[in-house]
Amino acid sequence: MTREIVKTQNLHKVYDQNSERPYEALKGISFTVDEGDFVGIMGASGSGKTTLLNILATLDKPTSGSVQIDGNDITQLTSNEMSDFRSQRLGFIFQDFNLLETLTVFENIALPLSLQNIKGRLTNQKVRESAAKLGIEELLAKYPTQLSGGQKQRVAAARALVSNPSIIFGDEPTGALDSTNARELLDTLKNINRQGVSVLLVTHDPFSASFCKRILFIKDGKIGDEIQAGNRDRTQFYQEILEKLGTFEQ
Amino acid sequence: MLLKISLSGVKSRWKDYCVLFSGIIMASAIFYMFEAIALNKKFVSSTTVGQNARAVFILGSVLLIIITLVYVFYANNFLMSMRKHDYGLFMMLGAKRSKISKLISFETLIVGAASTLLGIVAGIGLTKIVSSFLITSLEIPIKYFQAIYVPAIWTTLILFMILFAIAGMINAGVFSRTAALKLLKSENQTDWKQPKTKRLVIQAVLGVLLLSGGYYAMYDIRQLQVGSIWIGLITIVAGTYLIFNSFFVMLLERIQQSSLNSKGINNFTIAQLKFRIRDYTKILSVVSLLFALALGAITVGIGFQSDIPEIANGNNAYAISATNPSAKMSSLIAKVEGKTTSHYQQKVTDKVVYYRSSDFNKSPLKYSAFVLKGNQAGLSQIKTSTLKQLKDPQSPAYQQLSSLQDPSLKSRRIRFISDTTFDQLRGRTNELQLIRVKDINSQYRSLKSVMDLQKTEFGSQTVQLMGESIVLYSMLKSMFSSMEFMGVFLGIAFLAMLASCLMFKILSGAQSDKVRFEMLNKIGTRKKVLQHSIMLQILGLFGLPAVLGLLDVAFGLQMFVKANLLYHAYRTFAYSSIGFLVLYLIYYGVTVLIYQKIVIPKTRSEK
Repeated sequence: MTREIVKTQNLHKVYDQNSERPYEALKGISFTVDEGDFVGIMGASGSGKTTLLNILATLDKPTSGSVQIDGNDITQLTSNEMSDFRSQRLGFIFQDFNLLETLTVFENIALPLSLQNIKGRLTNQKVRESAAKLGIEELLAKYPTQLSGGQKQRVAAARALVSNPSIIFGDEPTGALDSTNARELLDTLKNINRQGVSVLLVTHDPFSASFCKRILFIKDGKIGDEIQAGNRDRTQFYQEILEKLGTFEQ
Repeated sequence: MLLKISLSGVKSRWKDYCVLFSGIIMASAIFYMFEAIALNKKFVSSTTVGQNARAVFILGSVLLIIITLVYVFYANNFLMSMRKHDYGLFMMLGAKRSKISKLISFETLIVGAASTLLGIVAGIGLTKIVSSFLITSLEIPIKYFQAIYVPAIWTTLILFMILFAIAGMINAGVFSRTAALKLLKSENQTDWKQPKTKRLVIQAVLGVLLLSGGYYAMYDIRQLQVGSIWIGLITIVAGTYLIFNSFFVMLLERIQQSSLNSKGINNFTIAQLKFRIRDYTKILSVVSLLFALALGAITVGIGFQSDIPEIANGNNAYAISATNPSAKMSSLIAKVEGKTTSHYQQKVTDKVVYYRSSDFNKSPLKYSAFVLKGNQAGLSQIKTSTLKQLKDPQSPAYQQLSSLQDPSLKSRRIRFISDTTFDQLRGRTNELQLIRVKDINSQYRSLKSVMDLQKTEFGSQTVQLMGESIVLYSMLKSMFSSMEFMGVFLGIAFLAMLASCLMFKILSGAQSDKVRFEMLNKIGTRKKVLQHSIMLQILGLFGLPAVLGLLDVAFGLQMFVKANLLYHAYRTFAYSSIGFLVLYLIYYGVTVLIYQKIVIPKTRSEK
């Protein structure tokens, strides 16, 4: 049996609960992500996908329901435990790279490790491994301002990978990239996924989504539909996503 | 319509605006406080140091205007960093540049005018508090001093309005030249460049050399005379700049290479600090120099005051002398604590004042004399005289005794005779009481009341000529206390100003730091760690100028010590710097709190 990396049950999130007009962003979401899965979450703006990602990433707490990541119920964690959990178990890739300009590429990638107080030699080894996976070993001594957008995003991916996370969350990771660089990054993510790392991507871009194995469509706080790539090639899957979006968003 | 939107923009960020407002209020309050003294000619010229004080205040005003200029510039930057995005958005929506420019100038002026007016009100209150505190705690008699002083109100208002009008025009200019898109995305732009190592090393070495050269020049004031001040001024200014631009950066690079760097987010903290220091070189240099000036002014001001007992005692060993004191005088003398009284019997003829030798053998007369150490003038010391010394009219002991007698006896000779001869002399026997006190400072009030009574008995002209140390003491006190008042006042005004400047420069960078801290939070940095990092970064920016400033003063005081102007320079320095640092620390704390509030992301449950 495959291991469940993410398991959510009946997630609800209500904003402004005590006000006159509470807003329910999530209305009972349940799904699982298995080890080695590559899941896309698609939906229009305001559908609740960012809320869902924030809860999965321990940046927000659900109003009710449970979230388990790698067997841990993250809704019960304290603020410090959530921080530690993020640095040890989760990887993030953001839309706008979020690299620190004053640190070298090496130091940027090493950041999650130093949060765990991992020492010099091991850090060095892990950073190099991670950089090698993304083909950016020769950039390690440079500063982010000396890099192109695509290179920056690969550095961000290396940082997400460096602490061997259970899962990598991507929040529109190709949003700030041109098509060549976007494609390169998605290929890289696909490669990482092939090596056994689970990936969860939040996007509204069908091209990015077509790299996933499975796509969940969210509408008005609920999972409206789900499609699987199965044995089809990417172009066919892309077509299906487009069709689905066409009907789904009506 | 746009005006309405613009005002609603202000409303929605009123917390940030509060920071801005309070800063400008502070600046204008301080400026007012300063001008309330500087412009008050009656007050300034009524002080004993009158004319010198005017020069000090003109210089002070010029310096304060320069700092205010820098300050308004930073406050304005802070304002713009908040508004760029909004205005960019208006322009994207099709607002005309000319309209936007008007709006910006208008907003800048309104913000400036409102806070300056509030600042003047605060300044009046502040002036009242500070001056009454100084007057009561330093016992400074101050005439003509007014907290509400109309010329100062106008000067403050006009200066600030001019500054804000200029700032408004600059802002309008910037906006009309910058593309809307660039404004919208301005927060994402950084211009970090790794400095070149070779240049850093050269600058660092040069900086250290210049600074130590300047320190040496101040130390060696005897040889260099006035030149030492000029050399010091130039080398220290240049050296300070280079030290911030390179030496501290290299120091941080060293730390980056150590194992300390890999702990927690130390590497982030240190790298940020390194970046900041280079970015802030100018303001940090200015802060460090002003810190030194302000602390120096306070230290020297108080230092002169603490010299008074030495100078007064150096003039005469006895605080009070009384011949046949009246009952009233005796009761006043009785109130003086910690005193030793010597009694000497005296008979007076037309030309001679006779004393019993035995009295002087029993309680020998103390006198003050200068002791030369090598070829340096040393402190005067209290010595005990022998009868033989006393008999020599040229001796300091004899002259001191002469000056302590009843003023009417000045022209008579003094003779010391045996008890039998004394008893055979005809005439009334007077009693001369000479009173020494351990601590003239603490007994000032009771001694002064004795002196005041003497003034009514003999006339104040006559008392001024007497040798009692209390006479010189009270004269110096009134002279130096106005210097002390100005020194402390100047110092506090400068400190408040420079610390506000630094605070705003730092806070204006907070907006662009937000995204970094959000990212660190997302990758799992604990809140405590983030707070700690901010505390350290800001500590670096506050601490380094303070360290350099303290060093500047420590060496600068040598000028006063070597020129024998201050006797307890370093004791005073210790006290004044503690007081100074406490105030400075408060600024640091406030900056940290505000900064943390701006940049540290709230967890959703806190929202």
